[in-house]
Amino acid sequence: MTEGQSAKEWEPKIVAIVCNWCTYAGADLAGISRIQYPPNVRIVRVPCTGRINPFYILKALQEGADGVLVSGCHPGECHYLTGNLAARRKFAALKSFLSYIGVEGDRTLFTWVSASEGDRFAQVVRGVTEAVRKLGPAKKLVKKLPVAQPA
Amino acid sequence: MSGGTATVENPVEKKLREEAKRLLADKKVDVIVGYEAGTLPLTATPCFITAPEEADKLVWNPCCTQNLAKFVHDLLSQHHEAQKRVKPEAKRKKTVGVVARGCTTRSLIIHLQEKQYGRDEVVILGVPCGGYVDNRKLAALAGGEEIREGAIDGSEVVVKTAKGNRKAPLGELLADCCLTCRFNEPVLADVETGKGTPVAAADKEYEPVGAFENLPAEERWAYFEREMAKCIRCTACRNVCPSCYCRICFADQSQPRWVDIGENASDTQLFQLMRMYHMVGRCVDCGSCTAVCPMGVDLRKFLKKLDKDARDLFGHRAGVSLEEPAPLGTYKETDKEEFIFNPGGGGH
Ligand code: SF4
Ligand code: SF4
Repeated sequence: MTEGQSAKEWEPKIVAIVCNWCTYAGADLAGISRIQYPPNVRIVRVPCTGRINPFYILKALQEGADGVLVSGCHPGECHYLTGNLAARRKFAALKSFLSYIGVEGDRTLFTWVSASEGDRFAQVVRGVTEAVRKLGPAKKLVKKLPVAQPA
Repeated sequence: MSGGTATVENPVEKKLREEAKRLLADKKVDVIVGYEAGTLPLTATPCFITAPEEADKLVWNPCCTQNLAKFVHDLLSQHHEAQKRVKPEAKRKKTVGVVARGCTTRSLIIHLQEKQYGRDEVVILGVPCGGYVDNRKLAALAGGEEIREGAIDGSEVVVKTAKGNRKAPLGELLADCCLTCRFNEPVLADVETGKGTPVAAADKEYEPVGAFENLPAEERWAYFEREMAKCIRCTACRNVCPSCYCRICFADQSQPRWVDIGENASDTQLFQLMRMYHMVGRCVDCGSCTAVCPMGVDLRKFLKKLDKDARDLFGHRAGVSLEEPAPLGTYKETDKEEFIFNPGGGGH
């Protein structure tokens, strides 16, 4: 949220990091099927959830995302067989650590959406948007730059 | 007394020196990493010994703080690197001996597990450990005065300052990590030098983490923010940590620049979060990072949580088995996934 913008105008900004093979295709299907979902997500496509450096999630939060959604293939359906299983461990540890230091659990959400689940993708995005909306704008870990004073 | 610690040669020390002498004389090792008396009272510093006659320098007492596995990794990785530029016929093997307490052996196991060097490149001189003296607690005992002389007499620590003598039981000065440590003996050793005494409070290991978990989220965040605000990003904690051995650390990378240089609080938080996150199932709670931190950041409060999670989530304890990989380097199909977001239920 930029300074001066009122809380009323605030819309959650959500970064969705999704895998190419399942969730991205699922999002595509949602589009093709003309399923409506909130326009709050900005999708970043990666080859596999296993390729996501947990730092991406922290960087997104630092640079102003109100929430981060990570989604890949269901366990057992990974295009690279086990990428999502390795990712599952990384995310479990990251999420737990973030909530330990007091970052709201719903700021980082992880799920699985397959290529055939266009409706589920829309449902997930609705769910994430609602969850993040409830939390309000992100304040923790956000990088605040010194604001230039008008001359 | 010229600095160091006035203690009579203890049986472990005696055995250690003998064994070190023998290993060097028999050319079983090229160098031994151990501790020698420091230049200030009640301190010990890491030392590198390459000749049998130097072995008498070695000490083993509760002032030996740092986890020496760090140096084993440094020496061997530098050697491996140098050997790359050597003709095949001139290649040489280097063997490093190391004085290792429980946590140090666990770090060595992590290195071996992560294939940083071969088992035949390191000779482990195991030492029993009853904990080491926390430098901050010691400074508090001296009331902030300069310690002119000091001695550990059995289970009592005596310091002499300009304002007179002060003493305290050794148990009260031990580092926090030592108070609940269950690894009083080496997990892996080639040479044994004595038996350790178990510390009774090992079952209280995660109590501070549990207490912290029960605080309201805002308080936890405030604590994190406050601790991180102390950090000056000197990276001493990373440099001393045996599990932080990347040749190029994300904190130093410029493409991409993960954390900006400068004083921004958020960058410091991210640096710390990420360094600590790399410790999931890889932190042996040796306390070296907290010991070297010039700002007294309570790193352990956070690192211990990662240790607990490694156990709760993945059933893993860092550095106790040569077979078991670090938990984030592997997976099980049956891993818990309650954290998966599932709006509307079903889904699968
Ligand atoms: S993070 Fe600290 S306590 Fe853990 S292994 Fe590294 S130096 Fe030791
Ligand atoms: S040693 Fe302390 S001050 Fe230095 S980077 Fe680590 S936590 Fe920060």
